[in-house]
Amino acid sequence: MAGETPVQIFHLEERKSRFRSAGFLINTGVLLLFLSVPLLFPSFKTVDLAVKIMIFGVLVASFDILLGYTGILSFGHGMFFGLGAYCVALVMGKYGDPSYLNFIFGMVVATIIASALAMFISFLSLRVKAIFFAMITLAIAELAIVLATKLSGFTGGEDGISVSMPGIFAISFSMGDFMGFEVTGRIVTYYFLFLSCLGLFVLMLRFTHSPLGHVLQAIRDNVQRAEALGYKTFIFQCISITFGCVVATVTGGLYAVWVGYVNPESCLGVTTIMMDVLLMVIIGGMGTLYGGFVGAAFVLIAQTFLPDLQDAANSLFPHVPFLHNILERWLLIFGILFILVVIFFPKGVMGSVREFIGRRK
Amino acid sequence: MSETTFRGWGRGIAVFGTVAIFLFPLMGMPAKTYLTLTIAGLAMGMLLFLVASGVSIIFGLMDVLNFAHGALFAWGAYVGFSTFKVLMNWVEADSVFQNFAVFFIAIIAAIVVVGLIGILLETIIVRRVYGSHLFQILITFGATIVLVELIRVFWGPNDEVMTVPLTFRGNWDVMDVIVDRYRIICIVIGLTLYGIIQLILKKTKLGTIVRAGVENREMVQAMGHNIFLLFTGVFAAGAGLAALGGLAMAIFSLQVYPDMGSTYLLFAFIVVIIGGLGSVTGSLVGALIVGLSYNYVAYLVPWAAAGANIIIMIIILLVRPRGLFPVGK
Repeated sequence: MAGETPVQIFHLEERKSRFRSAGFLINTGVLLLFLSVPLLFPSFKTVDLAVKIMIFGVLVASFDILLGYTGILSFGHGMFFGLGAYCVALVMGKYGDPSYLNFIFGMVVATIIASALAMFISFLSLRVKAIFFAMITLAIAELAIVLATKLSGFTGGEDGISVSMPGIFAISFSMGDFMGFEVTGRIVTYYFLFLSCLGLFVLMLRFTHSPLGHVLQAIRDNVQRAEALGYKTFIFQCISITFGCVVATVTGGLYAVWVGYVNPESCLGVTTIMMDVLLMVIIGGMGTLYGGFVGAAFVLIAQTFLPDLQDAANSLFPHVPFLHNILERWLLIFGILFILVVIFFPKGVMGSVREFIGRRK
Repeated sequence: MSETTFRGWGRGIAVFGTVAIFLFPLMGMPAKTYLTLTIAGLAMGMLLFLVASGVSIIFGLMDVLNFAHGALFAWGAYVGFSTFKVLMNWVEADSVFQNFAVFFIAIIAAIVVVGLIGILLETIIVRRVYGSHLFQILITFGATIVLVELIRVFWGPNDEVMTVPLTFRGNWDVMDVIVDRYRIICIVIGLTLYGIIQLILKKTKLGTIVRAGVENREMVQAMGHNIFLLFTGVFAAGAGLAALGGLAMAIFSLQVYPDMGSTYLLFAFIVVIIGGLGSVTGSLVGALIVGLSYNYVAYLVPWAAAGANIIIMIIILLVRPRGLFPVGK
């Protein structure tokens, strides 16, 4: 029955070649790599790095929905990340016991608050120029940090909150050996986070490839034309912002589960979380979603191994204090890198690679 | 919808509401405290005006939102800090002339150094991203990181105590109201600069070109003026204003620290959103609103001080989405 009209033949061939394309192979390879990390490299440092790459990859992809697919720069994305982390930590760590139900409850509360807040912010700032969005979200994000620090009775202030995990996610949990590997709570949590991140990422892929996602890209490219075609741009942008922020919130909750500790600087900070996310999305490439993982991997691996580089530089050039000073301030290197990437590779790694492949075809 | 409803009486509401709100704190405190707080608020507002006017003019003319303005502000403070350190004898001298001389030397040093940084920033970085707001924000954000880290490399990462010239210390006692000397100096500086900016913008040929550029950039180019040279100049002038603001604020708050820019940049953003991007008068009014309300709220309900300005900003955005004094375009 199939293969009767040219269009159907085309679709059939496309479906067949789908499993042989480079993109599919790379995706499967990366998935398998993440699946096998705890088995191949059981040291805490690598597993921790892998989890952070997954979580930040999803966070950056959700930021990309705002930046790359809707054309809106928000400095409040780190705030939503922190909101999720704080909700989970408050429900499970401070005002309740660590139980599965409380975890779900915390996530639901976080999602509701985040969607209300995101809608409020977009109603407020989408009415004017998009440029206001950056300024207003920056102001609100700073306010959130001040609140988290000042309301120490509720949020634990600078000291933050520790979270412990229930049942099979607890660090002390052990299920005995499985094919020669000791299955601990850490490993179970790893696979739980892996599945959650995978689910969130597939959800975002679905979102951007849906008709709604195409409308968003049309709005990003030309607001007037999208309006002329009869789309209510405001509502579409509002939906996209809310979706991106909710995903960021869930990611924040997952982060709290892994790190087990929440404080204003590590979860809410504009110069910590937000800057990393911006750098990751620029390096990875805006408007690609996959770029989030490339950027997250690059930045996090650099952050993890840069101290080693510093030690090496110190032992090689022990008598150059200026070099030592500069290396001590790795943010300086990051900042310069950031500017260079924005000037010379505005499309990032994924964008440049896609352009290269597209040109060869 | 609300825009059309409020268009007719928007300004009336703004003026009446502002006056009512700023007399309101009188109910919660004695009149003398109110006067002291008002002077403190006016001084803070004038300092914020110095920062915000730069952001506002640069945006109005060049359509560039400069996130690096806070870093330039901090650089101004640090250059002034170093000048005071070098000329410590003059700072500590018991002579009004020497105190003012060192103050002006510090101001000139800060404006020159930061103005040069501004020129470099504009020609090397910002020029590449004209026309794209997103990349402007990103790239000036990157520049902020680099500039703040350079402060840490040159001056060290810790907070430093700013010395104050001897004449500027202490208070006057005017009819039992305690008036900090330096606050009066701040108010004078702010008003003078507002006057100078308005004179330049309204009375000189250069100012006419700048104002024309705010209205219609292509037309100014078509009339044969080198708009890019103008951009560089205005960017440097904005940087110089930020530097002056940074120096004055460092003396005001008695300390310098590498991250000081980000706090005041936020205030500056709130100010320009309230006042309207591109308007100098709007910046002044917005800065006074922010400075005054911050001081009143910090006295009445200390924990709410940071939120009060953001709430004011939100209300003004709801009533007048383009700020109190919208300009051009």
